[in-house]
Amino acid sequence: MSEFNISQRETKDVNVLEIKGYLDAHTAPKLEDAFQGLLKSSKYKIVVNCKDLSYISSAGLGVFMAFVEDVRKNKGDIKLSNMSPKVFNIFDLLGFPLLYDILADESEAINRFLDSKPIIPGNAKK
Amino acid sequence: MKNIRGSDKDKVGFPLVRETSSRRQDRTSRIRRVVLAMGSIVLVLAVFIIDVIRKAVDVESSGLGLLRDVLLLLGFILLWFLLEQLTRGKRFPPLRILGMLLIATGIVVILSVVLATGVSDNFDVKNNDLLPLGFDALFVAFLLGLSLAFFAAVVMRSLRELVLFKRRKHSRRNLVAFFVLLTATGIVAFWLKPLEENTLMSILFFCTLGLAVMNSFRLSWIIYLTKREKVITLVYSFFLFVAFVILNVLLNNNTLISHSLLYFSDILAKITVLACLFGNIYFGMTFVSTLFHLPTAEAFDRKTTEVASLHNLGRLVTQVFDFHDLVETVTSMTLQICEGGSTWLELIHSESVGTAPDAKAYIAEVVAMKNISLEEIEKLMLPAGDVRDDVIKTREMLSIDDVEQDRRFAHVKKGGATIGSLVAAPLVSRNGLIGILYATKKMSYGFFKDDVDVITAFADQASIAIENSRLIKKSIERERLMREMTLAQEMQKKLLPQSLPSVYGIDVDAISTPAFEVGGDYYDFVQLDDRRLGIVVGDVSGKGVSAAFYMSEVKGIFQAISRLHNSPREFIIHANEALSSSIDKHSFVSLIYAVIDTSSGLLTLSRAGHCPMLHVSKNKVRYLRPGGMGLGMSRGTVFANAMQEESITLAAGDVCIFYTDGVTEARRGDDEYGYDRLLERGKASAGKSASQIKEEVLEEIKSYTGDHPNHDDLTLLVVKWMGPHAAAQKVPS
Repeated sequence: MSEFNISQRETKDVNVLEIKGYLDAHTAPKLEDAFQGLLKSSKYKIVVNCKDLSYISSAGLGVFMAFVEDVRKNKGDIKLSNMSPKVFNIFDLLGFPLLYDILADESEAINRFLDSKPIIPGNAKK
Repeated sequence: MKNIRGSDKDKVGFPLVRETSSRRQDRTSRIRRVVLAMGSIVLVLAVFIIDVIRKAVDVESSGLGLLRDVLLLLGFILLWFLLEQLTRGKRFPPLRILGMLLIATGIVVILSVVLATGVSDNFDVKNNDLLPLGFDALFVAFLLGLSLAFFAAVVMRSLRELVLFKRRKHSRRNLVAFFVLLTATGIVAFWLKPLEENTLMSILFFCTLGLAVMNSFRLSWIIYLTKREKVITLVYSFFLFVAFVILNVLLNNNTLISHSLLYFSDILAKITVLACLFGNIYFGMTFVSTLFHLPTAEAFDRKTTEVASLHNLGRLVTQVFDFHDLVETVTSMTLQICEGGSTWLELIHSESVGTAPDAKAYIAEVVAMKNISLEEIEKLMLPAGDVRDDVIKTREMLSIDDVEQDRRFAHVKKGGATIGSLVAAPLVSRNGLIGILYATKKMSYGFFKDDVDVITAFADQASIAIENSRLIKKSIERERLMREMTLAQEMQKKLLPQSLPSVYGIDVDAISTPAFEVGGDYYDFVQLDDRRLGIVVGDVSGKGVSAAFYMSEVKGIFQAISRLHNSPREFIIHANEALSSSIDKHSFVSLIYAVIDTSSGLLTLSRAGHCPMLHVSKNKVRYLRPGGMGLGMSRGTVFANAMQEESITLAAGDVCIFYTDGVTEARRGDDEYGYDRLLERGKASAGKSASQIKEEVLEEIKSYTGDHPNHDDLTLLVVKWMGPHAAAQKVPS
């Protein structure tokens, strides 16, 4: 029914997940698997490029929340980039920008990691 | 007899009507039998008395002779009907008929031989007529005549059963023709003197014989006998043939017997002779035919069992839902083909190994085995590169004629193999291969093509049956879940307000429909004090059961602490603290909470990540979106700092629309209903009641999505502010 794809690449020690299509309760496990894979191989600097993400449901949003804690514990972060206005509105309504770095461009997000002092706007679930 | 009946009645307790009707039927047929038996005995006795009188008085009266002949014939007709009565409705198997006939023939032959050798002919032949010379001759004639004629009747009856065993178009016609000619011969004999012959008689006699030969080809019952039964038939028919030969020789060449019989009744004598000839021919044919059928008997047997087991299995497929019974039956049926070999059935479970999606491994689970142990199977089937792998790969039946020569069984030592040949048939269902049925024989080259066909057929049937039993199990489980969910749905409905609050100045209506049986949407009202009404709308992340659980928790929290906090912001911060400890880290709850003061129309609003409230006033329609984040996303100061509060003063006629994302995200293809359409609908709501506005929004969403069912929980709550009422400073209870 709804298509969802992830492609993964590594740039300068930062792992980029490009997500595409509909992220809902049916497709969320795919993203979970991808995060799990990264955590397993101790990759904690993650940028999720949402350029082709056309929809995200609450179950999809939950995936980020489920992993961000572990990632931040390991001095990494999940940063989001390239959101369409519609998708950004969904993130924004829930207050995600208060907890996550959401950037206009992927390279910008990668650079944030390369700056020695990462700026984390808030701490999720203390 | 009476006693047995009585006890039967006590024990079984049939319905009264059936009992009496069957009893009545019983009684009438018993009466009929008694009448027939008595009638024939009386008639034969009468004839005997007439004969004795004839002999004693020594009168020659053709009238008396005619009378006795007629009486005797009547007696035998009654006897024939008695035989019919006794065997009516019963169908004896051919072998039993043969056995009974053999006993009867044996007795008659022994009697005839004893009399033929022990007693001398004591009749005077005069002008083709027979006259007994003493009472002994009369007595012997009666004994022989009665027994032979009765025997003839039994023979005819038996042969009729055999000839008509499998009816064809002309089988009945030919037999009837035979009986008609037989009767005709008898009638002609009636007009002749006992030893007289004429052309008509001879013609009739030979025609009858011809028909006897024709009827002797009706031997189809032999085909359906098992091999063992065929052997028995061969023996029986041989003895019957010999016995009939002896009888015929005696009937034609022994003067005592032929004279006695002819004296007794010339009609019955002719009929007896013809019946015995018919028997002779028939059993001669039976012997030869059985002999020819013997070589194929085994193959026929096998085919019959195959057909029977396939039939049974076919029935099984629709009847047996117990998985264990099913596989047991399949293997025991397969075992019948194996002739002392072994058989087992494995289910193949596929299991993906590792992360690569194409690396699949199979687990074979032996669910039933016959004549073989699990250790032996394991020894025979190596974990890799064996027959199983090949069958899984090809999904085709595999037959190995010589196990010792096969590379897949190289691990089995030469000469040490307990099996000679093996067949492995896959069980393929809609979802692919589900199992393998194995059959082995001790000898190599043990399985013929038809064996393999049958095993494949078994495997096919078994796969259907197994699939069926699985589906049924699933559907039972599903039904149970459905019931549970229906219950949960009803429970959840009770968590939503059962009635709308009636507060002066506020016109309100709401609806909430889950996408599935239960959902995560929530709305509620709370009377904070006599002036202020709290309105909450929430949405738990995810859908279905997990969302429903959190929804009930949110309800609990709302009911517990909403009255403790006057400001919506305070309430939300405390609700977050309460919920965060129990909520799963990837779940959250979005919530919007508004408090309306009915004395002033002041609306205070806080939003925990929820969809913004639509405020419709006379000259402005806008979304109210104070900052905040979903409950459960963060705790402490981060959450509290993010949470804002906004207040507006409502003017009379203002409308506030609260909703969940099921409204704005209602989909048509890739498009969503969206905020703009809701805004436009809000603009058009002037002068309408809350109910009307609610209905119109729902109607628009429905027509927008068309046939697509709502994929998300949907909640819509409309509040219309009527303005502060002079008398409404107080909220009536």
